[in-house]
Amino acid sequence: MISSKKIVLVGHFGVGKSSIIRRFVEDVFSDDYKVTIGVHIYKKEVEVSNTKLTFVIWDLEGKEDVEHIRKSYLLGTSGFMYVIDPTRTSTYTNIKSEINYLTTNFPNAEILTIANKSDLIDESTFSNIVDFKIDYFTSAKKNENVDAIFNQLGLNFLQNI
Amino acid sequence: MTDSEKLSKLKELLLSEDRNFAVKILQKLETLESTINKEDLLSEKVNPIIDKKISIFTEQIPEKLGPTITKALKVQIRDSQDQVVEALFPIIGKMVKKYIQQEIKLLSDTINNQVQDTFSFKKWQRKLKSIFTGVSEEKIILSEMIKPSIEQLFIIEKGSGILLSNVSRNVEKIDKDMIAGMLTAIKSFVEDAFTKEEQSLELIQYEFYNIYIQNLSSYYVAAVISGSFNTEFKNIVENKILDFASKHKKEELIEDSNITNKLKTLLFND
Repeated sequence: MISSKKIVLVGHFGVGKSSIIRRFVEDVFSDDYKVTIGVHIYKKEVEVSNTKLTFVIWDLEGKEDVEHIRKSYLLGTSGFMYVIDPTRTSTYTNIKSEINYLTTNFPNAEILTIANKSDLIDESTFSNIVDFKIDYFTSAKKNENVDAIFNQLGLNFLQNI
Repeated sequence: MTDSEKLSKLKELLLSEDRNFAVKILQKLETLESTINKEDLLSEKVNPIIDKKISIFTEQIPEKLGPTITKALKVQIRDSQDQVVEALFPIIGKMVKKYIQQEIKLLSDTINNQVQDTFSFKKWQRKLKSIFTGVSEEKIILSEMIKPSIEQLFIIEKGSGILLSNVSRNVEKIDKDMIAGMLTAIKSFVEDAFTKEEQSLELIQYEFYNIYIQNLSSYYVAAVISGSFNTEFKNIVENKILDFASKHKKEELIEDSNITNKLKTLLFND
């Protein structure tokens, strides 16, 4: 049986969570910003290291504080992606406490920190000025590293099986 | 022969041909004038031409005038919605009324046929039920006709919304994983937003279907039910689900490849 995993993308409004998912699932990108209201669910079947996995991806509306997300939306999550916009400081000022909240409340879940919109910044300069680790720089617009982040989560899931 | 006679003779010789021609033209002019002035005669000539033109024009209406008419209608409907509604309301109302009347007639015929089926065992069974319960025979037939049945069943992991198992009476082309996720999101939202403590979402009505949700310890079951969903049927579904849950733990649902057949036997053998 193909194993199904719930992946949830969290982060502030407008960081590009929906764009990342749409690029990954539908391979499209739109410059028009459409705010996500509530939750939108996507699905994609992938193959990671010769193992078939079904990703059920929950695209949550942006929240400035991860604690304000309905906890029931986060239950049973296998992998979180905490997405920031490196061009807006407000989207990552509290990232340490936010990640801490996720690791404390969902100890079994994999967590990746993603800096999206990498096409607008210099990655190495950005890494040097912030005091937290960015797992991946992505650009949903340029289709850079989007598949890689989901593949990485898949690999992490397989290690834990 | 006098001079005037000679002149006259000369005129006759010279102009007789022209005169005859002028007379003929005059005659033709008179015929033409009478044709134009007399409607019968004119229509005899002109009607075939007009008919031909109209026929060509009629054929070209969709191509030539279609876009213009559509555009004009759109503008008219947009600018005068109230008038359009006023104009259409009685027509649509009549259509709906006629349709409902027709459907009720069909229903009434079916009920009558069942009532008049004197030799049927079911009829006597129904009569007895009617006598003992006090419910009219027609009402019993009606409830039999809109008998509820389970169309589809989803077994979904709590929290994650991951689909553990699924069975369907008919072949469905829907994405079951997405349905399971969305049902979980709706359930989570409702339970979070509107209820206190340990209350949970139990029923979603969707057009002709009811989605009955039964919560269990590590998973929940969503049954899509058609027909008239009532307390009696709810109890039947509830018992079937509880009976199934008591025999199957979550892990078994994932591992047992025969689980869908077991569910089909349990749910659809009625």
